[in-house]
Amino acid sequence: MSHGRAIAFEGVEHHFDVGGTPVPALDRIDLTLEPGELVTLAGPSGCGKTTLLRLVAGFLPPATGSVTVGGEPVRGPAEERGVVFQQPTLFPWLTVRGNVELGPRLRGVAKAERAELADRYLRLVGLQDFAQHRPYELSGGMQQRCQIARVLANEPGIVLMDEPFGALDALTRERLQEELLEIWRATGRTILFITHSVDEAVFLGSRVLVMSPRPGRIVFDEPAVFGEHGARVPADEIRALPEYVALCDRVRHAIHQPTNVD
Amino acid sequence: MASPTTVRARAVRRQRLRRIPLHVGTLVALVALWWLVTRLGLVRPLFLPPPGDVWDAFVRANTDHPLSPGSDRIVRGEQNYYLWEHLLASLQRIGLGVGAAVVVGIPVGLVMATTWLGVVLEPYLSFLRALPPLAYIGLLIVWFGIGDTSKVWLLFLAAFPPIAMATISGVRGVREDMVNAVLSLGASRRQTLTAVMIPATLPEILTGVRVAVGFAWTTVVAAEIANGIPGIGALAYLSGQKLNSDLVVACILVIGLAAIALDLGLKFLEKVLVPWRGKA
Ligand SMILES: Nc1ncnc2c1ncn2[C@@H]1O[C@H](COP(=O)(O)OP(=O)(O)O)[C@@H](O)[C@H]1O
Ligand SMILES: [Mg+2]
Repeated sequence: MSHGRAIAFEGVEHHFDVGGTPVPALDRIDLTLEPGELVTLAGPSGCGKTTLLRLVAGFLPPATGSVTVGGEPVRGPAEERGVVFQQPTLFPWLTVRGNVELGPRLRGVAKAERAELADRYLRLVGLQDFAQHRPYELSGGMQQRCQIARVLANEPGIVLMDEPFGALDALTRERLQEELLEIWRATGRTILFITHSVDEAVFLGSRVLVMSPRPGRIVFDEPAVFGEHGARVPADEIRALPEYVALCDRVRHAIHQPTNVD
Repeated sequence: MASPTTVRARAVRRQRLRRIPLHVGTLVALVALWWLVTRLGLVRPLFLPPPGDVWDAFVRANTDHPLSPGSDRIVRGEQNYYLWEHLLASLQRIGLGVGAAVVVGIPVGLVMATTWLGVVLEPYLSFLRALPPLAYIGLLIVWFGIGDTSKVWLLFLAAFPPIAMATISGVRGVREDMVNAVLSLGASRRQTLTAVMIPATLPEILTGVRVAVGFAWTTVVAAEIANGIPGIGALAYLSGQKLNSDLVVACILVIGLAAIALDLGLKFLEKVLVPWRGKA
């Protein structure tokens, strides 16, 4: 299995060419995500979070430096790295179930097993009654849940999530946050989770990163484990812990800190 | 359950029903105007025959009738074929030509859009598309003979560029993240093609087929200009040469109606094959 492979950035810089002028997106990223970590990455919009994720996904190569997974350079997308896109990217020619089953189908998983996987993850995201719908018949939040089910049903060792809960109502968001923690604890996947919500970053992450804008740089990197590791503490109890509140404050401070460009 | 889509579909259907009287009214008004203009003698029947004469020509072309009024030689339709046989012959040629263009044009378009071949070959595709069919039917006759082969070739060459070009533009319009998504699910190159590229391109391909069929109709007269009987294009052309305006207009109307019917069929096919069109 592909479990247990670390993701490493070494001297990564990236910029985009916009009409001939280079727009810096990432600057001097040196970072290792250990296997089994749930790393949340927060930062103002436009600071380069999505770019960082796309480098790991293999959608684009870094301009400078290297991105490796388990010591091997990333050469393109692969099934070990599942991606939940910021914009729901579902296939309208397939039903919701067809979308969720797609990964296993491409890998040649037997029909019965595929159906079981799809059922399990559709139920997880609360879409079991919409299995036969087409994606465009769902609301934005439901589409996002379908996308999450599609990635999880493919059981990748690494899950890359780009602001997946941004479009959801507060209730669904909180439920899915807890489900994600549950899945993470049960399967030991490595998860990189991008968010612009400080509370979400601190609540979900076993480790919280903050990125500064222009150029995108990691300016904050702290573990975020409360209570006994692995123990399940109710969400509102966690949120009431003094060290939780303190970490939120530090993260918020890091995000709002003016960056010194040298 | 009334999902938003069925509610919308019902509203669209109701709107369409309401439009039927409008369509019928327009048609009646146009025919009445046509009748009036010819009846008042504003134009000579050679230039625009009255509706009644056209109808007579249409009926004559579909039945066994005397060669001329009072003659006892009975002939079959026009040029020894009924009008519907002429239409069927043309439809068969169009079917073969467009069918071949679909079979060849889609793979060629896919290859051109995904490899360097596209850059090299695209100018030739534009060149081919710009050629007027009448200009090269002669050449095709020299190459493939005066029989049906040269005609089907001409229709193929007219239908091929729009289908290939629609496929190319369809592939280029596929959202990059659609491809990234399927690759991240572990798709091979081949699976990417079948699971994403082709279905995502299908709406544009079908539009290309509709354009191609339209091209084929406008090309059918050129295709049948030599030795084209039976064939509705040839019949229209021959009747024109013989100054038989009644039959020319009857042929034109049949061609137009057949083209509309075929396009409606294709539109229906589009609805069945790409229900997501315009929604995602
Ligand atoms: N494909 C692209 N072409 C040009 N500029 C881009 C592209 N993608 C991102 N950028 C720029 O790079 C910077 C970082 O973008 P992004 O990684 O999407 O930020 P975030 O996800 O943190 O909001 C922004 O200034 C954005 O405008
Ligand atoms: Mg982003």
